[in-house]
Amino acid sequence: MSRTVTIEPVTRIEGHARITLQLGDAGEVEDAKFHLTQFRGFEKFCEGRPYREMPALTARTCGICPVSHVLASNKACDHLLSVSIPPTGEKLRRIINLAQLTQSHALSFFHLSSPDLLLGWDSDPVSRNIFGVMRQDPALAKDGIRLRQIGQTIIETLGGKKIHPTWVVPGGVSEPLTQEKRDAMLKLIPEGLEIAKRTYAFFKTLVPKFKDEANHFGSQPTMFLSLVSPKGHLEHYDGFLRLKDAQGRILEDMVPPHEYERLIGEAVEDFSYMKFPYYKPHGYPNGIYRVGPLARLNNVDACGTPYADVALAEFHMLQESGPIASSFHYHYARLVEIIYALEMMERLLKDPTILDARVRARARSNRYEGIGVAEAPRGILMHHYRIDDEGLITWVNLIIATGHNNLAMNQSIRQVADAYVDGNNLQEGMLNRVEAVIRCFDPCLSCASHAFGEMPLAIELKDATGRVVDTLRRG
Amino acid sequence: MDQALKGRKVLIIGYGSPIRGDDAIGPLVADRLQAEGMPEGVEVVSRHILTAELVADLVEHDRVIFLDAAVDGTPGEVRCRSLAPDASAMSTMAHFLDPRELLAWCETLYDKVPETFLVSACGSAFDYSNYVLTPTAEAAIEPMLDWVRRLIDTNAPTSTDQVQATSSRETGTQAPLQAR
Repeated sequence: MSRTVTIEPVTRIEGHARITLQLGDAGEVEDAKFHLTQFRGFEKFCEGRPYREMPALTARTCGICPVSHVLASNKACDHLLSVSIPPTGEKLRRIINLAQLTQSHALSFFHLSSPDLLLGWDSDPVSRNIFGVMRQDPALAKDGIRLRQIGQTIIETLGGKKIHPTWVVPGGVSEPLTQEKRDAMLKLIPEGLEIAKRTYAFFKTLVPKFKDEANHFGSQPTMFLSLVSPKGHLEHYDGFLRLKDAQGRILEDMVPPHEYERLIGEAVEDFSYMKFPYYKPHGYPNGIYRVGPLARLNNVDACGTPYADVALAEFHMLQESGPIASSFHYHYARLVEIIYALEMMERLLKDPTILDARVRARARSNRYEGIGVAEAPRGILMHHYRIDDEGLITWVNLIIATGHNNLAMNQSIRQVADAYVDGNNLQEGMLNRVEAVIRCFDPCLSCASHAFGEMPLAIELKDATGRVVDTLRRG
Repeated sequence: MDQALKGRKVLIIGYGSPIRGDDAIGPLVADRLQAEGMPEGVEVVSRHILTAELVADLVEHDRVIFLDAAVDGTPGEVRCRSLAPDASAMSTMAHFLDPRELLAWCETLYDKVPETFLVSACGSAFDYSNYVLTPTAEAAIEPMLDWVRRLIDTNAPTSTDQVQATSSRETGTQAPLQAR
């Protein structure tokens, strides 16, 4: 008799989700699904609003990466205005984006994933949390707090506030940078970089311990999608789309982000409010790809900053050849990106033109359609708007990083469940690994909720007849 | 400022969503305090939510006053209570934290916990509204300000005598504001 295991809610992620494992007669996993159980409808209720409200409105989809939404939205507005923003305005936008990446990656690594990495997947769930980490390695926990503080302080210094800054505006940024603020931010970078390097060096010592998890945590072949710079370097703000296959062959390159619809289709399933984007030429669901830190590092030829390039070379040594396949190594990639972000922020802040007063281009809307694409911490973020003659929004499409990874997350939990879950002897540590593979992707479900459709909402264990015979609930 | 606080650092944190009706009362009261000017050594910040890095700020201060909206009480009721660390006040998510969990972080990591108070006002509507409160919540602003002023007032009795220190788990032990 087959059974279904339910893990609900999935813990230490952003948002609410459920995982269902369908077991067969012999207790083997027959199917695994990741359900996003919240519906928010942002795309619909933005209709009718003036396009200039979109950065503020869409930033409210998320308290974690509002800066990413603000940037993608303002870039869509830049497109509507048909302006090129002043170079200093662009550099300042890049800095706030990298500060956002730093604090977000720090949260994912230090606070959400370190309990598993430090205490072990099978440790007592009562103490497998941030307090367990604090007791075991207080210095690491303090580093996590400080790194987040540095990222958030830079966001606040530039944006005026940490959570929903309004400093980025269509056409650039609203205020130029003062020397005093520049110097204050620059002072933070060396300490941040030391923490990032120290954590990276520590994590490298942990990686060999997780060989088994690395083999089974979403190591299935997929394509990888990200932005790259015109030189093929790491790029988080602008650039072009690049898509590589699992063997590392470049299938699409230097595609202007405005042409994303040629590459990306979106499918809907009845068990989740999150859509299932796919690479159109390969169809659904074969067009599975991953985005985010792992994809970005797999896709680039170089990071472009000194220490991050050394770390990138070491990242590629995790595997004999080809793109790094295991989603477990999202953790590794995040740490490399934190180093990159700090190095790049320092470079930008030291740029002699960073204090220039001209930071904003002004215009009225000159197009009916605008597309803005940027790399959020979790992956590529796309905002696409249509407006009428009055500048009112008539249609919105948002493709969120977590959405891009939806197919891969579903495939990954199936792989982990196949490897670790024994339906005849269900152990908490098995189910924790199923959750943990989702945490590798660091999903942010708050803004990934879009799909319409009827959804049976509830890790459930179901028998062959579909009867729920076991449920794991936490939180 | 409270004699006991002379030369010591105070941090006031107003938090809540500015677009969810009466939930904005924490940031609004913080903004009012900021506008009227605070004595030396008193810092005021507004936050949408409480996040992990605030721990580093908390341990740098001797007294912390959180300002928040509440849902468990009569609309408009203003309460002040002391807070203690509580590691069990954890969220399954990580982008917002309970003030008691933040204090538990301070205790576990830094072995130092600031004397902490929560001044709250019960709201009545939490639907969309951008920094606009219901009249009931609006009327609670002044009593909240009054509590904060007393907690940082040089001439007032030691503020710890005014509220009943409670374990954070004893959420029902709260002191309603007395008219001055």
